[in-house]
Amino acid sequence: MASTDIALMAHLMRRAGFGATRDELESYVETGYEAVVDRLLHPEKAPRAIDDDDILRRYHIGMNSFFSPAPTQAHWIYRMVHTRRPLEEKISLFWHGVFATGFTKLSQPRVIANQIDMFRYHGLGSFHTMLVELSKDPAMIFWLDNKDNHKDGCNENYGRELLELFAMGVGNYTEQDVYEASRAFTGWSILNPSLHTARAEQMNVEPYGRQDYQFEYVAEAHDDSEKTFLGHTGQFDGDDIIDIICRQEATARFLSRHLYNFFVADEPQVPAWNTVPPRDPEAVKTLMDTYFEHGYDIRSMLRVIFNSDFFKEAAFQKVKSPAEIVAGAARLSGGFRFPEVDDELLGIQPGIMGQSLGDPPSVEGWHTGVEWVTTGSLVERVNFAAAQFGDTDKPGVRYMVDRIRSQGDRVSPEVLVDSCLDLMGPLHVSEGTRHELLAYAGRGGDVRFGTPEEDRAAAGRIKETLQLIVATREYQLG
Amino acid sequence: MTVTSAFKYTHTVGCYALSGFGFTNPVDVAVGGDGILYVVSRGNLDFEGNRSTKRITVCNVAGEFLGEFSTGGSEDGKIMWPASIAIDGGGNLYVSDEALCRITVFSKDREFLAAWGTRGSGDGEFVHPAGIAFDNDGNLLVADGLNSRIQKWTTDGKFLGSWGSKGAADGEFNMPWGISVDGEGNVYVADWRNDRVQKLDGEGRHLATFGSSGHGDGEFHRPAGVAVDRDGNVYVADWGNERVQVLGPDGTFIAKLRGESGYSKWAAEWFLANEDILEQRDNADLEPPVEVTPWGEFVRDESANVESRLWGPTAVKVDPAGRVFIVDSLRHRLQVYERQGG
Repeated sequence: MASTDIALMAHLMRRAGFGATRDELESYVETGYEAVVDRLLHPEKAPRAIDDDDILRRYHIGMNSFFSPAPTQAHWIYRMVHTRRPLEEKISLFWHGVFATGFTKLSQPRVIANQIDMFRYHGLGSFHTMLVELSKDPAMIFWLDNKDNHKDGCNENYGRELLELFAMGVGNYTEQDVYEASRAFTGWSILNPSLHTARAEQMNVEPYGRQDYQFEYVAEAHDDSEKTFLGHTGQFDGDDIIDIICRQEATARFLSRHLYNFFVADEPQVPAWNTVPPRDPEAVKTLMDTYFEHGYDIRSMLRVIFNSDFFKEAAFQKVKSPAEIVAGAARLSGGFRFPEVDDELLGIQPGIMGQSLGDPPSVEGWHTGVEWVTTGSLVERVNFAAAQFGDTDKPGVRYMVDRIRSQGDRVSPEVLVDSCLDLMGPLHVSEGTRHELLAYAGRGGDVRFGTPEEDRAAAGRIKETLQLIVATREYQLG
Repeated sequence: MTVTSAFKYTHTVGCYALSGFGFTNPVDVAVGGDGILYVVSRGNLDFEGNRSTKRITVCNVAGEFLGEFSTGGSEDGKIMWPASIAIDGGGNLYVSDEALCRITVFSKDREFLAAWGTRGSGDGEFVHPAGIAFDNDGNLLVADGLNSRIQKWTTDGKFLGSWGSKGAADGEFNMPWGISVDGEGNVYVADWRNDRVQKLDGEGRHLATFGSSGHGDGEFHRPAGVAVDRDGNVYVADWGNERVQVLGPDGTFIAKLRGESGYSKWAAEWFLANEDILEQRDNADLEPPVEVTPWGEFVRDESANVESRLWGPTAVKVDPAGRVFIVDSLRHRLQVYERQGG
C-alpha cells in the first residue's frame, strides 16, 4: 500500500471527518478513494451514527435533557469521535459556523442541539431546503428575533443576516431588499413567544425545567402585501424570498467560498470577501457551476471538492479548529471509554481553545484559520493533545506502540521519529522540525522491547515522541 | 379494568431547585413506612465545584420539606453518580453509586455509617452498580450494571453471592438497572438493554420474562425501574418510551401512564415569588401538539415540549396503600398516582 495513498486518505478523513485510525485508513485505501468519497457523501446509507446514545443518556443525565451547556457539548464531541457517519457531523459543524446560533441568548442548550440535528438531516441536501428549514428553526427564530417580526412592526434582524451572513454576503443587495425580505418573513414565529422570552431573560428553569421551542406560522402577523426584492415583484412570503436568493450568482459564490474555506484551504474572514478575491477563483467558479447544475445541491458540490486536484493538493493548508483538535486527538488516541464522570470536561475543551460549541461569539460565528491560534489557545491545543497521547493505556496509543514494536525489538531513534510521524498523520514535517525531534529522540538511544522494564520504557519513549509531535506546526494544521 | 380508571394521578412532589425545596434530576426515591420520602438527586453537572446539586432530600408525601443530606464528591458519605436508594428494617439508608462503584450506608439520622465495594468484576466488586433492594431475608440485592449480574450482600457489607452474566437468555442480563422484591421473595429486574423485565426466585432462578423490545402495550424500550404491589402487579418505568407501564402478575398489560403533572406545593410557592412567569404560563399553550420530525424521536420530543408528561422516568415505587411514585428525572419531580378500586 503506497504511503501516498494513505496520506491522501488521511487528508480526506481529516477534512470530511475528524481523522481516522491507521486501520481505518488502510481499509479505506483498499476500498478506493472515489468510493470512499461516495460513502462519506451518503451518511443516510451508513449504519446509524452511534449505537450507544441510550448509554450516554442513562449515565450522563445532562446528555438526556441537554439542560446545561457542558454535557450538550460533550455529547456532540462524543459523536464526532465515534460516529460512523463522519461527514454528517462535519457538515453540521460547518453549518453551525455559518448559521451561528448560541444558547447564551436562548438560555436553552437543547434547542441548539435540535438545530444541530436538523443540520445532520438536511446538511448535505439542497441549499434551498436548508434555508427554508433554517428560517423555520425555533432556535434561529429566537436568536435573531424573528418572533418579533410583525406586519405592524418589521424586525429586520433575520432578514438582514439571511442576506448578509447566511446566503449572499454584503454588497449584493440593498437596504430596501433587507426590508422587503424581512417583511416576507413576518409571522414566521414560535409558539408561546412571550413565555419563552420571559423565561430566557430570567434564565428561568423552575419549576420543571424548560420546554422546547416550536415553529409557528402566525397568519395574522404576516404581511401579505406586494414586495419588490432583488428586482422581482410579488406578494412574496419567506419561501419566495428563498427561491430568489437561491437563483443569485452571489449566493452561489458565497456558498462556494464558504465550502472552500471550510473543506479546502483557509480564506480571509468572511467580512473581507467583498474586497479580497478568493484564493482559488477557478475552484470557486467550478463550485458555482456545480451549484446551478445540480439544483443547489450541497452533496454535489462536496463531491466535486473531494475529487478535485485543488482539494487533493491542499493538505495542511488549514489550521485545525478547536473541535477538530479535540475530536481528532480523542479519536486517534482511542476515543472515550465507557461513560465516565470526566466526560463533561471534553465538552468544554473546544471552548477553552476558543470554540465553545453551541455558543458562538456572535451571529458572525467564529473567525477561523490563523485566528484560531493565539498564544493562549496554542498552549491549550498542545496540552490537550499531549494529554490524550500521553496515556499509553488508551487503545489508540497502545496500538501505535504495538505497530512500532512490530518493526523489531530494537528501534533506532530515526525509525522511532519517522514511525510516530507516520502514525500521527502521516505528517510531513519540515527538515528543521524533524531534526529537533531526532535530537530529542536520539538522547535516549535505541528503543528496546523485550523485558517488562524495557517495554515500559519503550512505551514511555513513544508517548513522549507523540507528545512532542502534537506541538509541531504540522500537527496543528489539518 | 380500563386503562383510564385503574390509576388516578393525585399530585406532584417537588420541583427544580439547586438545594432545599426541590430536586435536581432525581433518579430514585425510597418510601419509608412512615410516609417519608428520600429522593436522590443525580445533579446536573459533574465538574468539581459544581457537584453540590447531588444530594438526598427528605420530605413527605404531602410535600413537606424535612431536610437534605450528602453532597457530590468521592469522600466517605458523598455521592457522585447516585443511582438507587433503599431502606433496611432498622431505617438505615443504602445508596448505590455508579461512578464510585460502591454502596454507601447512612443511619436513620442521616449520618455516614459505612461504604463497601470497589470497581472490578470479581466477587464483591462492582462496575456501575445501579438498582438496589432488600430481599425478604434482609439482604441487599444490587443490580451490578456493567457486570450484568445481581449481587447479594448482608447489611454489614458481607458479599454473599451473585447470579447471572451478560447475555439475552433466561437469567442473563444486559446492563440491568432497577430491581425489586415481592412479598413472596421473588425478584424482578429491569433488564435495561434487553428491553424486558425478568422475574427470578430468591436464589436467582429464572421464573418468567415480561415484555420485549418495542413501543406497544406490554413492550419496553430500555426499562429502568420496576416495582411490585401487594397483589403482584408489576410497575415498570419504561424509560425509553417515556412512560410507566403496569402489568398483571402474569405479565398481562393493564395500564400505561404517560404523566399528567400539575404544580406541586413547592412549585406553587415558587410562583408566589414569580407571578409574572405564572401569568405568562396561564396565557401560553402548555399542551401543544408536537410535530414529528424525520430526525427526532417523537415521544422524547413530546416530553421535552409538554411539561406535564413524564420525561426520563427512572424509577417507580409503590407503597402498601397503593400509591405509585414515579421519579420524573428530567422534570425534577415525583408524579404520584393512586391505584383505584383497592
